[in-house]
Amino acid sequence: MPDGLLTRARAGDAGAFAELVRAHQGSVFSIGWRMLNRRDAAEDLAQDVFLQLYRKLDHIESLEHLGFWLRRVAANLAIDWLRRLPHTATQPIEEGEQVAAPQKDDDMLMSRELERLLGELTPSARAVMLLRYQEDLDVAEVGAALDMPVNTVKSHIKRSLTQLRSRMIGAKLVVQESP
Amino acid sequence: MSENFENELRRALRPVDAPAGFAERVMRALPAQREPEAPSPELSQQPAQRMMKRFAIPMAFAAALVLSVVLGQHVADVQQERIAREQQEAGLAASRELMQALHVTSKKLDLAYQAVQSPPPVDEEDHT
Repeated sequence: MPDGLLTRARAGDAGAFAELVRAHQGSVFSIGWRMLNRRDAAEDLAQDVFLQLYRKLDHIESLEHLGFWLRRVAANLAIDWLRRLPHTATQPIEEGEQVAAPQKDDDMLMSRELERLLGELTPSARAVMLLRYQEDLDVAEVGAALDMPVNTVKSHIKRSLTQLRSRMIGAKLVVQESP
Repeated sequence: MSENFENELRRALRPVDAPAGFAERVMRALPAQREPEAPSPELSQQPAQRMMKRFAIPMAFAAALVLSVVLGQHVADVQQERIAREQQEAGLAASRELMQALHVTSKKLDLAYQAVQSPPPVDEEDHT
């Protein structure tokens, strides 16, 4: 994606801004979807994030910064929403809802189960896991995005991995490794 | 934690697609024209209001401090005045008691003096 796109979007080029939205909508929507477990809420959150971006375009320094900024705002906004509406924190992903994901059928079951189990983590732990494994940020970047010390990020990851793995083994979706 | 499980996690948590038409809906929701970022509420206030907001807490602390010093001084003055008055009253009472004691003593001495100065009674039987 060329850096000129950001400059054009800053100058008020609606087409350039729409291109930026298309480039990042999957990532932002996925954070909302897996944090909030609701499609409509995820879409509202993603829209809110892009409206904030539109107002803050002058503060975005580069396309790399843009990607980080969007993930940071999406994750923190989702945590705020979950804290304000705690009932959504434990709400399972709505039955029958399918979100198009570029994955094979045999991954589908595991993905659905993981999304359900992620919903059982605390909002902060869930955000850490999504930024680490969905967005592939390193622990320092996750800490910077969530204003969290690196050691806290590491302990969230360790605890959540243990919890998820034991639940997946229980559901026979992961084979227990021999010691 | 096995690396294998982490890789499985990455694969299972790949980003999903946003709903169809999402970008168009965002574009429709954008304000017609980008406005410069609204100044922070602090900057949008009048200078006097800003000064009041900035210095309100320190001013309140300073006022409370001055008030407590003045009140403390007043209480100390009142107490000192009361002690002085009590001491003065006690002194006056002691002085009154002393005067009364001296007066009584003086009366007794007068009586004794008179008794000494008066002639002894005449024995009538001796003259007859």
